[in-house]
Amino acid sequence: MATVPVVDRPPAPVAEAPVVHPKKGILSHWRLYAAISPFYLLFLAFGLVPVGFSLFLSFHRWDGLGSMEWAGLSQYKYLLADADFWSSIGNTLIIWALATFPMIFLAMVTAVMLNSAVRFKNVYRFAYFLPNVTSIVAVAIIFGSVFSTNFGLMNALLQAVGLDQVAWLNTPWGIKVAVATLMTWQWTGYNAIIFLAGLQTVPGELYEAARMDGAGPVQTFFRITLPLMRPVLLFVLVVSTITGLQSFAEPQVLLQTNTNESAFAGGPDHAGRTMVLYFFQQTFDNNDFGYGAAVAWGIFLVVVLFSIINWRLVQRRGEE
Amino acid sequence: MLLSRRGLLRAGLAGSAAMALGGLTSGCAVPTGSTGRNMVLWYWSGGLSDTVVEKAKARYDDTVTLEAQQIGGYYRSKLITTLAGRAHIPDIAGLKGEDMASYLPNADQFVDLRTLGADRLKSRYLDWKWQQAVAPDGSLIGLPIDVGPVVHYYQSAVFEKAGLPSEPDDVSAELGTWESFFAAGEQLKKRIPGTFILTDVGSVFEMSIGQGTDRFVDEDRNFIGDQEHVRACWDRAVEAKRRGIVSDIVTGTPDSIAATVKGRLPSQLNASWAAGDLKLQFPKTEGRWRVANCPGGPSNVGGSFLAITKACREPERAFEIITWMLSPENQAHGFVEAGLFPSTPASYAMSKLREPDPFFGDQITMDVYGPAAEQIPVAHNSPYDIALGQPIRDEIKNVGVLGKDPEKAWRDAMSKCRRIADHLGVNL
Repeated sequence: MATVPVVDRPPAPVAEAPVVHPKKGILSHWRLYAAISPFYLLFLAFGLVPVGFSLFLSFHRWDGLGSMEWAGLSQYKYLLADADFWSSIGNTLIIWALATFPMIFLAMVTAVMLNSAVRFKNVYRFAYFLPNVTSIVAVAIIFGSVFSTNFGLMNALLQAVGLDQVAWLNTPWGIKVAVATLMTWQWTGYNAIIFLAGLQTVPGELYEAARMDGAGPVQTFFRITLPLMRPVLLFVLVVSTITGLQSFAEPQVLLQTNTNESAFAGGPDHAGRTMVLYFFQQTFDNNDFGYGAAVAWGIFLVVVLFSIINWRLVQRRGEE
Repeated sequence: MLLSRRGLLRAGLAGSAAMALGGLTSGCAVPTGSTGRNMVLWYWSGGLSDTVVEKAKARYDDTVTLEAQQIGGYYRSKLITTLAGRAHIPDIAGLKGEDMASYLPNADQFVDLRTLGADRLKSRYLDWKWQQAVAPDGSLIGLPIDVGPVVHYYQSAVFEKAGLPSEPDDVSAELGTWESFFAAGEQLKKRIPGTFILTDVGSVFEMSIGQGTDRFVDEDRNFIGDQEHVRACWDRAVEAKRRGIVSDIVTGTPDSIAATVKGRLPSQLNASWAAGDLKLQFPKTEGRWRVANCPGGPSNVGGSFLAITKACREPERAFEIITWMLSPENQAHGFVEAGLFPSTPASYAMSKLREPDPFFGDQITMDVYGPAAEQIPVAHNSPYDIALGQPIRDEIKNVGVLGKDPEKAWRDAMSKCRRIADHLGVNL
């Protein structure tokens, strides 16, 4: 048995075992933690604490001033069976769909048009972006007169082409269309600018190659532009979902009247009462802060659900 | 100036620490109400006469620095959050009439004005308004600023054209009941097609409820919205719709403004403060309007209070200030300046309130408002009234606007009310 000669190796330089002082490890970086602390402290005070408090609140009855009364799961039980809450989710989704799909279409068309050679490009970009920074209250007042039944612009147009007038703000579907139109108007330009940014990242060679292969403008659009724009499209969809699910001011201002009825009722048959509007009505009109908190968590779950759907869409894109 | 990294760090740290500490201390410290000399008054735009506020500041200047703050936005929620936060609470706070019922269960947040001798001022104010500020435990949490007696505003030329009475006294007398008012609506529609005496059914329901002494929830927390007194108001509103005297225009939209200017909606049942809105919205119609009694008797919409919070360190002084601000003399001024209809009957006879109003064809409108204000019935306002009246109001709107079947609408309203009552702990 051949013995393996013991090679007298110099002892491997044993790395000095680091003295692990986890506490000291964190503490030694205190300057860094301190530097980022303002955000976290502010978030803790104005973000996390209120969120936690609203969860706590949703298990209580509270009129905002008096003593809180433990209510257990009763607020949530009531929420699950609350037809008004479910209809407010329906309203939100319908208005969102009515607003988003025309909006994406119009934004895309606008962006493609802006991307082709036009004069005064910047003027157009500015003009399209303007609705997004206009006060929503002012916009809603203008749209209120546009959609007036007897003296509104919309009905004047309908009558000019020989159609009957529609009581826009008096019928459930009219209300939804009116609110959705307002949102479409407000967001089309914003999204067109984002699409435009996306369009400008598409390499020109691709278009040249397509042209050489004999592709027409329509084919180019559907085979090259659209697939490459998919991430941008998804981004626009995600942003519009977030803003759409939170819609509040648009129906509130458009549908409020100067009578003594609730400003959060959302018009006849509550056709324009979105989720957030319903939350506001329950909390502040009825002084029912416990139930309001439960509604807020219900809205949270709906938003989570939609975030998951969005996430799945993005994931699938990654797998391809 | 160059800011070193360390300096920036220090500033950030100090800032966040101050934030955190500020949040803590203001929560634990003594209520930051008056500190002897400073006294804060919260009200909303148009809630008090600005001149009276200025005069009060000057008048009490040697003892207090009165800081009057106009709070914008959703007033009640701001006041409630501030009270709940126990910091920066105003010493004197305006309480809106429609919110009054929701403050009453928390009367302990306010100074009981009886302890400051309010009882001896009781005769100065309208009794029914005074009662609205009395909490279930008997304490008085506010002094009335104003009231909102409901009247019938109408355009006399349109009424004349339709062959209806057009002088205020005649309209008050001949259109004094709901039945005669509805009949006049039919005549108006027949003589001048496209013209409606009512914009929506909501005003009929609302004013009718206000003419009674019971609303939706009684003093013992029982739901009474399903009883005869509410049903009668409901049926009255439904009848107005059935008789075709209600327009399909939404109140408050540009449509209703255009129709009113054109004389197609020549009549409104609304509170005294709506006179200001009429003047503001329809300046072109000056001189065309008159004021008559509300059909079916006096009703009230709105009208606010001034309260002293528990955070106030000098309640006696604060009470002195609010009783001065709400004296008949100053309330008369509030009416002239801000359209705040006085809660003190003594004001009604004052000469400056009896001046002819050119907007109303030089009518002395006080002759209508005054008696109406004094005859408003005392009704119990429950904190649950808003939540339990809403489904009924919503459904009557559906009947009026969407043409929903009234019987189905009533059943829907009742089933919703029962669910809400059960949830809020109101007895059925």
